Amino acid sequence: MSSTGGTLIRQAVKEAKPVFSATSEDARRRVLNLYRAWFRQLPYIIREYDVPLTLPMCRRKLRENFEKYRQVNDIRVIDLLVAKGQMELVETAHMWKQKTHVMDYFKQTVSPKPTDFLGKFFDGKEP
Amino acid sequence: MMPLLDLAQRQHGGWLPISAMHCVADMLKVPRMRVYEVATFYTMYNRDPIGKYHVQICTTTPCMLGGCGSGPILDTCKRVLGLKPGQTDSERLFTLSEVECLGACVNAPMVQINDDYYEDLTPEDTEAILMALKRGEKPPKPGPQSGQDWRHCCEPKGSLTSLTEPPKGPGFKVLPEL
Amino acid sequence: INPQHLQPVAAMLGRIASARRLMAGAASARVRAFSAPAAASAAASNKIEVFVDGNPVQCDPGMTVLQACALAGVEIPRFCYHERLSIAGNCRMCLVEVEKSIKPVASCAMPVMKGMRVKTDSPMTRKAREGVMEFLLVNHPLDCPICDQGGECDLQDQSMVFGSDRSRFTDNLHDGKRATIMTRCIHCTRCVRFASEVAGVEDLGTTGRGNDMQIGTYVEKLFRSELSGNVIDLCPVGALTSKPYSFTARPWELSRVESVDVMDALGSNITVSSRTNEVMRVIPRLHDGINEEWISDKTRFAYDGLKRQRLVAPMLRRSGNLTDSDWPDALHEVARRLSASRESPDQTAVLAGPFADAESLTALKDLVNAAQSELVCTEEAFPGCTDLRSAYLMNSRIAGVEDADLVLLVGTNPRYEAPVLNARLRKCWLHNELLVASFDLSYTYDHLGDSPETLLRLADGSHPFAKTLAAAKRPLVLLGSEALCRPDGRALHSAALQLSELLRQKMKAANPEEADWRVFNLLHRVASQVAALDLGYRAGPESIRAAKPRLLFLLGADAGLIKRTDLASDAYVVYIGSHGDNGAAIADAVLPGVAFTEKNATYVNTEGRAQQTRLAVSSPGAAREDWKIVRALSELAGAPLPYDNLNQVRARMAQIAPHLTRYDSVEEANYFSQCLQLAKSPGDAKLDAAPIRLSLMDLPDFYMTDAISRSSLTMAKCVQAASKPTKY
Repeated sequence: MSSTGGTLIRQAVKEAKPVFSATSEDARRRVLNLYRAWFRQLPYIIREYDVPLTLPMCRRKLRENFEKYRQVNDIRVIDLLVAKGQMELVETAHMWKQKTHVMDYFKQTVSPKPTDFLGKFFDGKEP
Repeated sequence: MMPLLDLAQRQHGGWLPISAMHCVADMLKVPRMRVYEVATFYTMYNRDPIGKYHVQICTTTPCMLGGCGSGPILDTCKRVLGLKPGQTDSERLFTLSEVECLGACVNAPMVQINDDYYEDLTPEDTEAILMALKRGEKPPKPGPQSGQDWRHCCEPKGSLTSLTEPPKGPGFKVLPEL
Repeated sequence: INPQHLQPVAAMLGRIASARRLMAGAASARVRAFSAPAAASAAASNKIEVFVDGNPVQCDPGMTVLQACALAGVEIPRFCYHERLSIAGNCRMCLVEVEKSIKPVASCAMPVMKGMRVKTDSPMTRKAREGVMEFLLVNHPLDCPICDQGGECDLQDQSMVFGSDRSRFTDNLHDGKRATIMTRCIHCTRCVRFASEVAGVEDLGTTGRGNDMQIGTYVEKLFRSELSGNVIDLCPVGALTSKPYSFTARPWELSRVESVDVMDALGSNITVSSRTNEVMRVIPRLHDGINEEWISDKTRFAYDGLKRQRLVAPMLRRSGNLTDSDWPDALHEVARRLSASRESPDQTAVLAGPFADAESLTALKDLVNAAQSELVCTEEAFPGCTDLRSAYLMNSRIAGVEDADLVLLVGTNPRYEAPVLNARLRKCWLHNELLVASFDLSYTYDHLGDSPETLLRLADGSHPFAKTLAAAKRPLVLLGSEALCRPDGRALHSAALQLSELLRQKMKAANPEEADWRVFNLLHRVASQVAALDLGYRAGPESIRAAKPRLLFLLGADAGLIKRTDLASDAYVVYIGSHGDNGAAIADAVLPGVAFTEKNATYVNTEGRAQQTRLAVSSPGAAREDWKIVRALSELAGAPLPYDNLNQVRARMAQIAPHLTRYDSVEEANYFSQCLQLAKSPGDAKLDAAPIRLSLMDLPDFYMTDAISRSSLTMAKCVQAASKPTKY
């Protein structure tokens, strides 16, 4: 990327149409609101989906999922992530999901798949 | 192939064993299956052992109507031989079978025993023939029996009903254009 | 009669035809070809114009109405007509209306005439079809729920499309007793014609007549043919079905995978049908160049050997016995030995068996070459020089047999070594007056002698048959690979090459336009041989015996050619293969590989045509693909091979021999005179006068020849049945 390309990008960023939030404070507010909404919904999720976990465990997982994107700075990206989180929350709260979808957040029995040849060979047959 | 199979059948006392069919196949250099096909197609090839005297009684319409009818004749045969149609007796002496028209309709009813026709039958004639065969005697002469007063062959009772005048020459009833 | 109305019917027929190719008429049936009248009639002057439902079609003279309609894209229903058998015309299902004819015409038997107008959808045609279907169904038992052919039954499909929708029949003859499945027979006589024309075994026929006609052998006789399973595909109803497959699956449950057979060297195209990870059956695919529509009994029925005697876990020999282990342990042990034997040259060796695919052959060769060794050998011997491909291929191609007018078979019994090739030879013998010289086959032949000296005498003209040989316009010499396993194999190969070259020169001199005709052909017996020779393997295990390596890899080698006594006393034998047969018994480490239905692999057939098998089911237990085992081994031994996935292996294969990845194409064979020169190299032994003895002489020998067929119960039953002496 040449420097002229860099300036163009900076200009593009400055002139990009915002998704939801205009400033980073707006974005921060959205994120925190989303966090609170999830936090407050957690007890009901546990009860309705019969999740075999305790509330502290779920809260830890919630924080982990938010911490995953801590370093994201782009406001539009943050907005979209929040939108996705909101969609997930709506689906979960309305009981449109099933237990298996909720448990997917935990993925406790899935170990990371090996990527090198020998690892894959010992692991099992794949086509 | 058919004449050979017929000869083989005659040589075997009236029936065709599989070994004979194999022999015919080898002689003609055809696969054995082709011989089996021909032998099973025709009813006159007997593939099971048959009695010394194959009594074949014609039970089609003309024989049913002629003379005393084939019914009494068939009953007599069944009674005398003690067999049902299609059966062979235990000593392999007689086989009784009902067959299709044998072509002796004028001299109905009739039976064919091996290669001889016994025509113009009455139940008594039938019994006499069969008993003679049973006893091992020479059977009566084949041909018309007593049913029509021992006629010679198939001539009508009274005078001739056909061939009463000299034959018409060539050109009889031919169109004038030809 | 609305042409638009034909569309859904034709489409349905198209689906039916594509689902079961045996119903297809001419090979081009599926293409809707309306020839432009003006242009075409100018081009082909001897073509006859026929109108099918108003559309003009240009046909060759001698075509039947059925074939003409197929050209027009209309497929006429039939039961007894089969494109590879003679015309019978006894089912009457193919009746169509032809204008100006009072009676409907049996289209499979009626030759086309100029200006014929055929109506395939008129009321008369429909009435005829419905009537014929009604008659067929009247005498047909209500067996659909228990009949194996349900779902792929011609009778079912055609009655749905062409039959009447209501029945007039009241069954008053049913006595409640179930009869044999031969009651389902509709007397199409396809099996009878197949047995007498293609298989050459005239044991099936029609006994009795009329309503009492029965198809069968009449006497208690086995249908003793190595192609007997093909009647299962031919029979349009469920009268002749596959006994091992009976009552196991329905066709709609099966998923089909197109693959290639490895039981012999022809590479017949097959379809492997499987359900829930189990191979349910193997049926043939159409390939005009190799197997037409037939496959041998071993190909068809030996699939149950894929489920028995399988190696499912790596094993290591501890204190004399093979005990189960796991992959890391077994691979580490073998890798340790590999690193040790890498120190000095020629300490590592490979012996490739009959089912070795090109990928694993490449990987093993690379591994062993990296270990400073060139001892890569195949079990099957081939004494000649393998530098030029035309020395070990079937140069005129399998389909080339059809153009030959004389075939000289030397030291081969194609009947049991390559049954489908034999069927083709027989077809040419039947139709083209092919002259054949040699062994007991399904057709008559001239037996020229047992001894290889006959070859020499034929070459120099002193044999009485040499005149006929010289007079032949397109002769073919087919040499079998078993004859080359003799000690004088090299001389035999050279003599055959000499004779072929002589004939070829004579032919070229006589007709210059036949310069492309190739005379010399070699028929292999195992599927892996050609690929191995192409990749640079040496044929025959002598070099291994001579070198006494410390590490030996047996790649599915079960013929027992190398025994432990042939190797060094501290030798380590590693068996990589799918079945626990002789090879695994003498091994120190057993690494389970997969069978041909469980991998995407490349096999080259005896013509030099590369084909691939495809993965149909997954392998049992802990078995892994052979080349992957080798790659993992190489990594653990410290020198990983440069490929990680199948594409990279195939790129490596193509690097060595480019034709290996050019699937389904045969390279042109040439360099015959150079082959001859290489074969005549000095120091080879003279021809031994001892007669050539082959191992596959009779049907019971045919069934169990390799690891998969030896493990198969069906094959065992076949051997038993075929060995029983027959009374008839």
